[in-house]
Amino acid sequence: MTTAARPLASALADRAVAGDRRALARLLTLIDDEAAGADDAATRLAQRAGRAWVVGVTGVPGSGKSTLVDALLGAWLAEGHTVAVVAIDPSSPVSGGAVLGDRIRMTANAADERVFIRSFSARGELGGLSRAARAAVDCFDACGFDRIVVETVGTGQSETAIVALADTRVVVCPPGLGDEVQAIKAGTLEIADVLAVSKGDLPLAAQTARELRDMLLLRPRASGEWRPQAVVVCALDGSGLDELGAAMAQHRATFGVGRRRTAARDPVRAMATIGNVVASPTPHDDGWRGRIAALAARDGLCATLGIAVRGGGAGSAVVAMTVDARHLNFNGGCHGGAIFALADSAFGLASNSHGPVASGIDAHITFQTAVAAGDTLVARAVEVQRSRRIGVYRIDVVREHGGGETPVSSFTGTVYIQG
Amino acid sequence: MNDPAPAGFRPRVLVTKIGLDGHDRGSRIVAAACRDAGMEVIYTPPWQSIAAVVKLALEEDVDVIGISSLATDHLIVPKLVAALRDAGLGEVRVVVGGIVPEDEARALVADGVRAVFHPGSTLDDITTRIRDYAGETRRARAGAEDGR
Amino acid sequence: MNAPTDRHVVDVADAARERWQREYSAGVADQGDVVNVSGIAIAPLYTAADRPVGGDAALGYPGQPDYTRGIYATMHRGRTWTQRQLVGLGTPADYNARLLALLDRGASAVSLIPCNSVYRGLDADSVDVELLGTCGTVVNDAAHMARCLEGVDLARVSCAMNDPSPFTLLAFMLVVAERRGVDWSRITGTSNQSDYLSHFVANHMFYRLALPGARRVLVDHIAWCRTHLPRWNPMSVVGQHMQQAGATPAEAMAFTLATAVQNAEDCIARGLDPDEFLPRFTFFFDVSMSFFEEIAKFRAGRRIWARLARERLGAKDERSWRFKFHAQTSGVDLTREQPLNNIARVTAQAMAGIFGGLQSLHTDAYDEAYATPSEAGARIAIATQNILREEARLTDVIDPLGGSYYVESLTDAMEERIVAIMKTVDDAGGMYKAVESGLVQRMIGASAMRFQRRVESGEQVVVGVNKYRDDDAAEQRPPVERPDRAAIEQLRDALVAAKAARPAAAVARALDGLTRASERDDGNVFAAVVDAARAGCSHEEICSRLRRDLGFGQPLVIV
Repeated sequence: MTTAARPLASALADRAVAGDRRALARLLTLIDDEAAGADDAATRLAQRAGRAWVVGVTGVPGSGKSTLVDALLGAWLAEGHTVAVVAIDPSSPVSGGAVLGDRIRMTANAADERVFIRSFSARGELGGLSRAARAAVDCFDACGFDRIVVETVGTGQSETAIVALADTRVVVCPPGLGDEVQAIKAGTLEIADVLAVSKGDLPLAAQTARELRDMLLLRPRASGEWRPQAVVVCALDGSGLDELGAAMAQHRATFGVGRRRTAARDPVRAMATIGNVVASPTPHDDGWRGRIAALAARDGLCATLGIAVRGGGAGSAVVAMTVDARHLNFNGGCHGGAIFALADSAFGLASNSHGPVASGIDAHITFQTAVAAGDTLVARAVEVQRSRRIGVYRIDVVREHGGGETPVSSFTGTVYIQG
Repeated sequence: MNDPAPAGFRPRVLVTKIGLDGHDRGSRIVAAACRDAGMEVIYTPPWQSIAAVVKLALEEDVDVIGISSLATDHLIVPKLVAALRDAGLGEVRVVVGGIVPEDEARALVADGVRAVFHPGSTLDDITTRIRDYAGETRRARAGAEDGR
Repeated sequence: MNAPTDRHVVDVADAARERWQREYSAGVADQGDVVNVSGIAIAPLYTAADRPVGGDAALGYPGQPDYTRGIYATMHRGRTWTQRQLVGLGTPADYNARLLALLDRGASAVSLIPCNSVYRGLDADSVDVELLGTCGTVVNDAAHMARCLEGVDLARVSCAMNDPSPFTLLAFMLVVAERRGVDWSRITGTSNQSDYLSHFVANHMFYRLALPGARRVLVDHIAWCRTHLPRWNPMSVVGQHMQQAGATPAEAMAFTLATAVQNAEDCIARGLDPDEFLPRFTFFFDVSMSFFEEIAKFRAGRRIWARLARERLGAKDERSWRFKFHAQTSGVDLTREQPLNNIARVTAQAMAGIFGGLQSLHTDAYDEAYATPSEAGARIAIATQNILREEARLTDVIDPLGGSYYVESLTDAMEERIVAIMKTVDDAGGMYKAVESGLVQRMIGASAMRFQRRVESGEQVVVGVNKYRDDDAAEQRPPVERPDRAAIEQLRDALVAAKAARPAAAVARALDGLTRASERDDGNVFAAVVDAARAGCSHEEICSRLRRDLGFGQPLVIV
């Protein structure tokens, strides 16, 4: 029976901020149960929050995300940080119950005094983030944890809720997705600041990373906007973790921390600064697939030069070519015209992918590095702007090799759209 | 004052194994049954240390800890009960399921274990009683916290 | 079926069947389908009509491919099955006493089950004293092993060490043999349960090295034994763990055969010829209460293995095609309630194993469901085997159920089911990948849950538990034996002293030898383990070093 004394939640909040872990755990439960005074306590703590770097880690079940989170934990602990993990698992639609098993992969690090792991069930909320989990992030922040991982199961567009909560968003992909890469494009891929291809020891991992990089580059991107990076990671031997850490750090350096609070205060401005989020997802137009294939099949020059289509989208295209004797100039290097043809092919396919015939009326190219016989070149075309009659495209040509990609050439082109 | 354990509340249950044994067919089945009964279950692999279980129970604010013991690992459950008490988690109910001889089961209860489930217990029986014990934990906790 | 040529005979046969069907349906209320544990529907009657044309001729003879009727021409008539009882409790002295008593009473071979602490890779000085020696014997070094095997002639008695990677117990035993002047080439026995995949699947306590490390050490072990222990079986592929974890009999056989194929392919990849190692592959299975299903499971397994060895693995020697197996009566079928009933259960299970054509048998003690077996329980378990062999004379006839309409039909049906499950594993990339990804664990977990629900609904009766209960049965349970605490503490203290008294340099050198062997692709880790055992390294020291170098095994948990 309560007296005029303040609610339990308030007392717990004070103790939690003073370092009492038990009080913090109890407060999280009260918030989850919507106990009297819990919301006020949570709001009060939210005002003290804003220091922690909140990293969202999302991935389909079996993608290896928990193992990756454990690896991140290890790395941060070694650097002397305090880390909280908010691990969210889906709840059963039938019973409402859940098995919360993300901790399983973090057994060794979970024992460290500087780590606090709390598991939540999504409780059927869309976006995979329960209200209580979001409040937990603020509580951990206010209590002095300088790194907070929010781990959720990503199954599609519902995971965009993590966008507003996390400062840096890592999406974990298992290798060998193949056509499924297309499937996850809608929603999950678009929220990624960094894509981590897990199980890097498997042979398919490198290929999956390449496919993902291609997909990421096809998305429209304003200048200065964050370019999502794809990294191959193997949690078993730690390879790729440094690269992952660097990519994440780079993102943090660019965009800072505490953005969820900005979002709360000014949602419109927040959306503009939250990297590469698609504010309203475009309807999925699949017609490009058939069009690009048909166009490429008819193209005489592509056949002559061995230019093959790798992928595409509505307003985008990726083509590739391996340089051989056909493409060489009198000095033995790759003929500029061959590179131009490659870029121009991507340009043509991208601008014609919507259907109406588009003819090039202007094109410019710069050559940045020499290309030799045997090199594999990849040209990626993206649509910069398109109105009813005019379209502008940018094409990047890179040399693809085992360790990554080297820029080779930049091409811009303008088309006149008929019809 | 809200009833800390109203009809629809979701018990938070830890299902784990301490000691040396690794057979977990039973504990996995019980964990799944608890989920199907609407509870939130934190499940760990076997071979957890007592310290790890206490830390987990604290962070996850669990209502009931279920220890599966098929060999003799129940013999160190009293150490777990004591460690919970020392950490201020004395109100958390601990139950043991598995193969426990009668006299040792009686000793466990005397040492603070809430109940021992023997082979032959049905899943319905186990989940119903775990829910009841979770309610006991919440009421005991509320009572203690009310005094602050 | 043999088609009768005489029209009159056909008419009579049809009429007889119709009459039986009528009378049966009238006499039996609508029961619904009977389905065995593996999911195969069971009819109330089987006749010649259930056999394929020429089916009986295709059965063949015992000792001839594909061995449906037995792997040897003589089977139990020539040499009875080995009575190999698992023994494990307390200190080495306790083990030795129990062992000598059993050998005296007819057990013909040694099997040592170490303490759970040993399974976890730990020495006695690293573990809560309450947990030591309760389920197995504490053996941490060669001196302990010597005490265990006092008075046992290693040149003549077949030994099984229940010890997975890195097989330190065998290493200790070899050191003991060496010191006694016993030539290693005379030693017979098995690295029991050397199958790391089944341990990983069943999240068994026998879990030490990470999957890739365990895989490597197993092949090292097989290769080393081929050269140094020619009469030893280094590979024991285990179906028992999976069936105890809830796999159906068909799943257990399928997963086990798939594991054997995986291990064989790993050895072939190492450069070994299948005929060099397959003759030394043995299998270890559960025998459950599903009597005929178990018999059919084993007969089908024999047939499938012969084909796999020959066609898939390319073995040419007939000895490579023979499916040799040890069976243990199923512990999960035993009950705590009315424990003396377990004696009847074990008898039925043992019979199924014998009719199934096993080479070696362990019968559980009746008190196994709630304790490590007492001496009385262990004695009755051995007597059960003696009674079946010498009073019921089950060894008089080879494969006595061969030709039974039911058993042959069921063998065929089990074979089909097993082959289908193996295909699922193959589609997943083979057993290693299927286990690594959790596919096998999920399938087994689903079967376990299904069985649990069948028991709870009463569909599967368990006498004394969900039917025929007797609530006064508590007095029937004898008190549980626990090892003598003082003796255990003494053992632990002596171990600490022994470790302190050793020449530290030799120990360090030997442990570094383990690291060197692990780092080199052509190093043999097991050879280094034997050297380490000789130098006085303890079990935990060896396991820790290899866990550091080859990876600490973490279980893959699937709920």
